[in-house]
Amino acid sequence: MKSARRLLIVDDNPADVTLAREALEVCAPDCEINSVPDGVEALAFLNRRDKHAEALRPDLVILDLNLPKRGGLDVLAAMKAGPHLRRIPVIIFSTSQLGRDVARSYELGANCYVCKPGNLTEFFATMKAIEQFWFGSATLPPRGE
Amino acid sequence: MSGVGIKLAAPSSVGPKPKLRALLVEDNALDAELVLRALRKDSFEVSALIAQDEAGFVQALRTHCPEVILADYNLPNWTGMEVLNVLRRQNLDIPMILVSGALGDVLAVECIRQGATDYVLKDALARLPEVIRRALKEKYERSLRHQAEENLAKKVDELARSNADLEQFAYVASHDLQEPLRMVAAYTQLLSERYKGKLDENADKFIGYASEGALRMQVLIQDLLAFSRVGRANGNCANVDCNAVMEEVLKTMAPAIQESAAVVKRTNLPSIWADRTQMSQVLQNLIGNALKFRGKEPPVISVQAEKADQHWRFSVRDNGIGIAPEFAENIFVVFQRLHARTEYPGNGIGLAICKKIIERAGGKIWVESEGSGGSTFKFTIPVQSPDRKDGMA
Repeated sequence: MKSARRLLIVDDNPADVTLAREALEVCAPDCEINSVPDGVEALAFLNRRDKHAEALRPDLVILDLNLPKRGGLDVLAAMKAGPHLRRIPVIIFSTSQLGRDVARSYELGANCYVCKPGNLTEFFATMKAIEQFWFGSATLPPRGE
Repeated sequence: MSGVGIKLAAPSSVGPKPKLRALLVEDNALDAELVLRALRKDSFEVSALIAQDEAGFVQALRTHCPEVILADYNLPNWTGMEVLNVLRRQNLDIPMILVSGALGDVLAVECIRQGATDYVLKDALARLPEVIRRALKEKYERSLRHQAEENLAKKVDELARSNADLEQFAYVASHDLQEPLRMVAAYTQLLSERYKGKLDENADKFIGYASEGALRMQVLIQDLLAFSRVGRANGNCANVDCNAVMEEVLKTMAPAIQESAAVVKRTNLPSIWADRTQMSQVLQNLIGNALKFRGKEPPVISVQAEKADQHWRFSVRDNGIGIAPEFAENIFVVFQRLHARTEYPGNGIGLAICKKIIERAGGKIWVESEGSGGSTFKFTIPVQSPDRKDGMA
């Protein structure tokens, strides 16, 4: 029996975080979901600093691009530059469909790029697909704690 | 100072008539006097300066601001031709009239070619006033034309800028509108799924309206983005075989064509210089409309192209419900629709996109329809794009 999967959602829009929680509640009720609203807090969480000193290392990060304080690409670059963070898979989850955002994300080492779907059915289906693939089919790196 | 001319202001300098500021280039005082006399005889009021060499001429240009230059060709140290050089170098548009003894045709023609306005022989000075009048008139007309051209260029520039601004605005607005709208759409949908039948009947209905409205607005914004992208995507032009494009379009639309039992006929189509994706979009939109606005009979659509002057003229003819002539222009305006959404679905973006694509490619698009006997959409594409480099054929 594997332990509960931990997901970190970095998104400044609480409505999106709620939707993701709603979606995962159905398909992955035992998934442990944390969320932070900006890039600075995301890195604090990942590096277990400040008020996140007790945070546990997530198995997967869902990262929005358009974030306050430090943008998603910045967070991604910082993660991939840090030896203990670089192996955590990162899914860029953004409304941007700009080719340059997509390209830049992969260049910086994103594990995949997913456009936020416009309607609920697709949004739920996408979250379910992410959960099933990363927490089902894929073998994740060891947590190394 | 050797070069500065002698001031020869006319004694009757105060008069109702503005004085003509003339600059004479002349080394012979008597000849200069003859010239001025010829002018005064014709009721010209002249304020004249005389220059004898280049330095004097250049200075007089600055201090006297002449309206006309009357130059002898043969001067001790320089020639009338050099007067023209100075004017050209200083970018001055001042009529220069050669007033000289016999020059010979070759030299005279050469001077005119270099920019002299006219040539008057010293023994025919009676002609001079008329020549000056004409030169001044021509210069006035030239300046009017120049100003009109400048104004036009400025307007064109402003228009291009405001067009670009508008395009940028449409893009940013529709892009940024998507984000909050996504929330409205998702949450009204969530409301309707989770609370259907748990509130009262009205609540279900209201949530349904809100949800539908949000979804429709999403489609509208997508369309608007597609429309504004036509102006942003640029420079993907290549030699495009329209037969191949048609094949692709028919393949993409095969389900819709089959569903309506339509027959699509086409003649051999040309290769044109265009953006392949956009060309395919135009054909797809036009054929799509022909399928959508069909009559009682199964649609028969024929696509052809013929060469007309410097353009290829394409036509897409159908046997559908047709378009009343009074709407022939309206239908190309963005979000203009002639039918209720329940009658025929759509947002009224397809033809607007076609129009934008075709016009950006240097062509025109229009519709010919007798009302009920179907419609024929026609568009033109230049045979050779004006900005295409030659030698690539």
